[in-house]
Amino acid sequence: MNNSRLKTNIMSVVILAVLWEIAGRTLDSVLIPPLSQIGSAWLRLLVSGKLLSNLMMSLWTLAAGFFLAVIIGVIVGVLMGRFRGVEYFLDLYINALMSAPMTAFVPVLILWFGLGVESRIAVVFLFAVFVIVINTMTGVKQVDRTFVEMGRSFGARETEVFFKIILPAAMPAVMAGIRLGMGRAVKGMVTAEMLLTLTGIGAMIMQYGSAFATDALFAVILTILIVAMITMKLVQVLDRRLTGWKAEIAIE
Amino acid sequence: MVEIQEVSKSFQKTVKDKTAEIKALTDVSLSVRENEFISIIGPSGCGKTTLLKIIDGLIPHDSGQILINGKRVSAPGPDRAVVFQTFALLPWRTVLANVEFSLELRRIPKEERNGIARDYLKRVGLEEFEHHYPHELSGGMQQRAGLARALAVNPMILLMDEPFGSVDAQTRQLLQEELLQLWQREQKTVIFITHSMDEAVYLSDRVVIMTPRPGRVAEILDVPLARPRIADDVRRDPKFVELTNYIWDSLKKAMENGH
Repeated sequence: MNNSRLKTNIMSVVILAVLWEIAGRTLDSVLIPPLSQIGSAWLRLLVSGKLLSNLMMSLWTLAAGFFLAVIIGVIVGVLMGRFRGVEYFLDLYINALMSAPMTAFVPVLILWFGLGVESRIAVVFLFAVFVIVINTMTGVKQVDRTFVEMGRSFGARETEVFFKIILPAAMPAVMAGIRLGMGRAVKGMVTAEMLLTLTGIGAMIMQYGSAFATDALFAVILTILIVAMITMKLVQVLDRRLTGWKAEIAIE
Repeated sequence: MVEIQEVSKSFQKTVKDKTAEIKALTDVSLSVRENEFISIIGPSGCGKTTLLKIIDGLIPHDSGQILINGKRVSAPGPDRAVVFQTFALLPWRTVLANVEFSLELRRIPKEERNGIARDYLKRVGLEEFEHHYPHELSGGMQQRAGLARALAVNPMILLMDEPFGSVDAQTRQLLQEELLQLWQREQKTVIFITHSMDEAVYLSDRVVIMTPRPGRVAEILDVPLARPRIADDVRRDPKFVELTNYIWDSLKKAMENGH
């Protein structure tokens, strides 16, 4: 990130914070608590350990579900991209599920997996996996044929064609899928917790929302935003590591 | 020595549920001498790239055969290397790593690759750019890297598929001169696909003129210009002008007969 961009970003956050504080104080309503009050609620939650324990629970769910989504999503995407039979067999479902509202599946998953962590992991997985599959498949299919021809011409075996040409060439698209999948995984995590209302920061939202504890509610929401930002940043760092040779491509 | 004997090739093409057979090559015969520089010229769609891929063993042919020193070609082999029109450099590898790639695939031990690759980069004048990525280089430089990658595996036969087709005119002339110098030093048989008449005449010992689809050999022309050929002198040579004009007429005739 360049310097002037960082400066503008900070300025934007500061202006928003000041406006919020002013609005909160002048309106004096429980619906929009001033930022300072949210801050102290946040500190309270932090000191009591409630925020951290719930956050750790959420992050564990997120990590497990997302990890599974990446592994399975990339494998299925590669198979679909490489073998037309697999693509034709699966693309119907993948495309339907890609745009279907995943929230609708949450009750089913709860019935299947119970109220424990398995359900939440399954939701995160389901939210993230399809966009990874589709991007990986597209990436694999769009590998420049000349690269493959070049490899074969110099005597590459099939495994070499795959690992030394197709996979690295598809990597920017795979990473784009992983980035989009990360965003969806965070949504999945919060959605599952909100519907289950047992543990995690999603549960805290429902709890404080129904208790009109708006300062704590906003404190939790801000925490989620920060978590989302940090996870996105992590994926971006990974992306640069793996595909630094490529100029920025993905569109969010 | 490369012998191409009555090679034919058709493709299946499906357009709107209708499958049609397209004849790309019909009975192409040609023999290329050792260390000869031969160009194949013809209008787009005459199957010259298909022919090159068949010689490389990348795609099968329907009938006829290709012999290299008496041995039948059915797959790519260490005696041949291709220089691609679109360079085909892997964008995630540096120039050096791209040249090493061909050595890697040909199972040259790791310790030796670096030295060989750098040596060939030097021969094409890219030693200062070995750590650059392909997209940081001009088209001409990228193709020099492509040439280094092909030469590095020390093939007997260099197959070049319109290698200078996507660079600008000045770079093209420069690359042609460099290629001739390299060819004279390295002792290779070169089969060079082009659609440029003066490129074919300037570079080659013989020029093969092909007809439009289905591709056939219309004529094989000797280029009796002395070597080494100095670009500026050759292009002013009346014999050069006469030969390019002759090819032009021959191509025109081939196209008229073909339609």
